[in-house]
Amino acid sequence: MKTTTRIRKTDFHPALKIFVYTMVLMFAVLTLYPLYWLLISSLKTNTEFQLNMTGWPRNPTFNNYPTAWRLAQFDTLFLNSIFFTVVSTILVILFSLMAGFAFAKIRSKATPFLHGSFVIGILLTLQSLMVPLFLMAVSTNLYNTRLGVLIPYVGMGMPIGIYLCTEFIRSIPDSVVESARIDGASYFRIFASIIAPMTKPVAVTLAILNVSGVWNEFMLVNILVSSDALRTLPVGILKFSGPLASDHGRQFAALTIGLVPMVIFYLIFRKQITEGVSAGAVKG
Amino acid sequence: MKRFLAWWTEERRAYLLLVLPGVLVYWAVMAFPTIFSLGLSMTNYNGGVIFGNPNIQFVGLRHYLRMFNDRYFWISLKNNGLIMAVSVFGQIPLGFLFAYVIHRKLIKFGDFFQTIIYLPCVISTIVVGRLWQSFFSPYGPFTKFMQRFQPGWENELAYDPQKAILPVLFVILWMYTGQYMIIFLANLQKIDPSLIEAARIDGASEWQVLTRIMLPALSGVIVTACILAISGSLKSFDLVYAMTAGNPARRTSVLALYMYDTAFKHSPNYPLANSISVFMVLLSFILIVLVRITEARFGGREE
Repeated sequence: MKTTTRIRKTDFHPALKIFVYTMVLMFAVLTLYPLYWLLISSLKTNTEFQLNMTGWPRNPTFNNYPTAWRLAQFDTLFLNSIFFTVVSTILVILFSLMAGFAFAKIRSKATPFLHGSFVIGILLTLQSLMVPLFLMAVSTNLYNTRLGVLIPYVGMGMPIGIYLCTEFIRSIPDSVVESARIDGASYFRIFASIIAPMTKPVAVTLAILNVSGVWNEFMLVNILVSSDALRTLPVGILKFSGPLASDHGRQFAALTIGLVPMVIFYLIFRKQITEGVSAGAVKG
Repeated sequence: MKRFLAWWTEERRAYLLLVLPGVLVYWAVMAFPTIFSLGLSMTNYNGGVIFGNPNIQFVGLRHYLRMFNDRYFWISLKNNGLIMAVSVFGQIPLGFLFAYVIHRKLIKFGDFFQTIIYLPCVISTIVVGRLWQSFFSPYGPFTKFMQRFQPGWENELAYDPQKAILPVLFVILWMYTGQYMIIFLANLQKIDPSLIEAARIDGASEWQVLTRIMLPALSGVIVTACILAISGSLKSFDLVYAMTAGNPARRTSVLALYMYDTAFKHSPNYPLANSISVFMVLLSFILIVLVRITEARFGGREE
C-alpha cells in the first residue's frame, strides 16, 4: 500500500497538480463567494447596498427577511411547494413500483412496448412540450388548478421511476413471487406484502430525485397557473425578485429564503443525493 | 365471451391494473402532447375551443416555413448549440477531471470539493439565475472585480448583444459540471481497485492507468453523459428566463424561450409555437440517434 502511494505522488506532474488545484479552488470560490455576497447583501438596507455593494454591512439588519416574507407571501409559496412535492413524490413512487413490478414479474407481450415508451421519455424534454401542455390544460379546464399541475409533475417523474423500479424488482429472485403464487396469493397481495417492503432503497433514490426535481421546478407552474394562491417557491421568488425589483436588500433576502431549504436538504442527504443522481443517469 | 373470460386471467387483470395508472398519467403528459402539437402545428388553431371547432383548417407546413424564415429561430438555435458545446466540451471534461483526481485521491480535501462543486445543482435555477444576474450586473461584484484591473471599466454585459450570452454560458458551465463529476465518480468507483493496483505494481504510469484502464471502462458512461448534455441543453429555459429573459433584443433566447415568447408574449401564435415544439422533439431524437450511431461505429468496448 505504501509503495503505491509513493509512486503515485512522484508521477503526478507538478504543473498538472497546480492546474488541478487552480480549477477546483476556482470552482469552490465561485460557489462560496456569490453565496457569501448574497448573504451579506441581504443584511443591508437598500441605501447601504447602493453605497457599499460588496463590503461587510456596517449596520447588519435582519429587517429584510420579515418584509420579504410578507410581501412575497412565502407562507403560501412554501405550502404549495410542499404540497406539490410531497403528493407528486408519493404518487410517482407508488405508480412506478406498481408498473415496475408488473413489467419485471408478470409475463406480458405488452411489456416491451410499454416499458420502451417510458425509456424514450427519459430523453424527452418537457420544455419542448410546454405550449401543447398549456393548450391541453386550458381545453380540459385544468388550467389554474392543483390537479393541472400535479398530473404533469407525476408524468414527468414516471420515466426514471419506471426504469429504476423495473431494474430493481427484476433483481429480486423470481422464486419469491413463484412460491407465493403457489401458496395462492394474488399479485396485489404479493406486491403489497412481499415486494413493496423490499423496495425501500429504490424508493429512497426515487424520492430524492423527485423531491429535488419538483421543489425546484419553475416552468410548468409558471405557464399552468396564474393565481397567486397556487404559486410555488421558484415562481413566487422570480416574481418578487425579478428584473423589476427595486429593493435589493429584500430581493436578496427572498433569494436566501429560497436557497436555504435545498442547501440543508443537500447537506443532510448528501450521500443519498449523489447516489440517486448517478443511478438516475441511466444509459439512454 | 367464454373465450374472453378464459383469456382474462387474474394475471392479465393484475398486470393491467398495476400498469394502468402510470401509463395513463405518463401518456397524458408526454406522449399525447407530442402528437397533439404535431397536429395543431399544421392547422390555423390559435385559441378557443379545439374539438368540434369549425374554423380550424388544415394549413400544411406553412408554420414550419415561417419558423425557418424567422431570424429569432436561428438566434435561439445558435444559442442552444453554444450551450450544447459548453456542456460537451466544458462540463464533461471538467467533470471527468474532477472525478478522476478526487477518486484517485490526487488532491487533498476531495470530499469537501466534491460537496461544493455539486452544490449548485441542488439550488433552484431561478435563485441561481437571479443571483448571478445581480453578480454580473453593473452593481455586482463582477464589475468591482474588473474595475480593480481596468479602472473605469464599463459593464455592458447586459446591453451588448454580442456578449450577453457569455454570463449565461459561464453559469451553465459552473452549475452542471458537478452533475457530470458525480456520474463519473460513481462509475469510477465501480472499477475494481485491485486492477489499478496491479497495473501500478507492474510499472504503469498514472497516464497509462487513465488511458488504458479508466477511459475504456468509462466509454459507455461518456456516451450517456453526452446524451444527457444534449437533452439537457434543449431543456435550458429557467436559467435564461431568470437571468436575461432572452434580452437584449432577444439575442440570448433559446428554443424553449423562443417558443414561450411566441405563445405567451404579445399576441399569441399557437401554430408557430406548436411547430417549434415539434421541431424540438425531433431535434432531440435526431441528436440522440446520432450519438448512438457514432458510439456504435467508433465507440469503445463496453461490457
